[in-house]
Amino acid sequence: MSDNLHTRAQQLLAQSLIEGITAADDAWLRKHLEDCQECREHAAATNNLLRALRAVPIEVPRDLAARTQMRVRLRAQETAGASRSGLVLWSLTAMSWLLGVMSAPLVWRAFAWVGEEFRVPKLALEMGFVLWWTIPALFAVAAVLHQRGVASNAKRF
Amino acid sequence: MSVDTQAIANGLRQRDPELLDLLIEQFQHRLFRYLVFLTGDQALSEDLFQETWIRVMERGHQYNAKSKFESWLFAIARNLVIDVSRRKKMRSLEELADPESNQPFEPPDLQGVSALQMLVARENEQAIQLSLLKIPAYYREVLLLRFHEELGLEEIAAVLATPISTVKSRLYRGLTALKNALPESAPRGAA
Repeated sequence: MSDNLHTRAQQLLAQSLIEGITAADDAWLRKHLEDCQECREHAAATNNLLRALRAVPIEVPRDLAARTQMRVRLRAQETAGASRSGLVLWSLTAMSWLLGVMSAPLVWRAFAWVGEEFRVPKLALEMGFVLWWTIPALFAVAAVLHQRGVASNAKRF
Repeated sequence: MSVDTQAIANGLRQRDPELLDLLIEQFQHRLFRYLVFLTGDQALSEDLFQETWIRVMERGHQYNAKSKFESWLFAIARNLVIDVSRRKKMRSLEELADPESNQPFEPPDLQGVSALQMLVARENEQAIQLSLLKIPAYYREVLLLRFHEELGLEEIAAVLATPISTVKSRLYRGLTALKNALPESAPRGAA
């Protein structure tokens, strides 16, 4: 029997395990294995190899599932808590922004009155007005960043 | 009790704790085996096992029930292994991310994989099982997924985020590598 036939048989054997072969190839392979002891031994050895692979004894530590279930539940509670406090933070930020927008004309008038009464330079008044708007937003951003930092630290293991 | 994929997706979206408990119980053996195969380190596999389920809980809304749950689960675990290997500079595992960039593989020293060695060392099939340690993790991985987990080629491709042609190529090479890694006295199979 030629080497080409053995090579083809072994290629088909591997192919049948990995991606499957056509019915015609399967019939050819079966016939070849009936006639060829060398390839038959090869096929048996391959089956042994895969059986050994399936039989690798890896045991899960007895309490691993229970420990994991507890850890997942704890993390779920932490995440739910963080999510609630995040929602409160965003709601407060939105409310303060809304109040800021609604009160802007009044605040501007107040600034103008203070400027006239105390003769404050216009530039200082404008800067004060800008700060009145930006400082609460900067506090909110700092709070959000701090919260995210805490959350990412908690995720590390 | 097994749960169908749509029920899993719905439960994960709601972070259903009962469902998560059930999934952890149901998939503990397969996930832990996969992690040990990848890392060769039991203690690290335990950490990664827990971290995988935390990610499942946190990112459960991303599971769309179009693929098997285990494929999605293995993909999460695999990404964690790659992250950890990068952090800890475990070169042999980092190759999982891009094995085609490697030099031709050299069998690792068996002394260096004693944890997995201890796990797989059993009587009759010891020689074949130990030879698993000699082949690169990215071959062990596809061999496990195909012949142990019995995932289809498309499912393995989804876990690895690689084309099916790459999966096939790794399977053929993995079988050859496993055969070549066998000691002379052990039976050799076709690959």
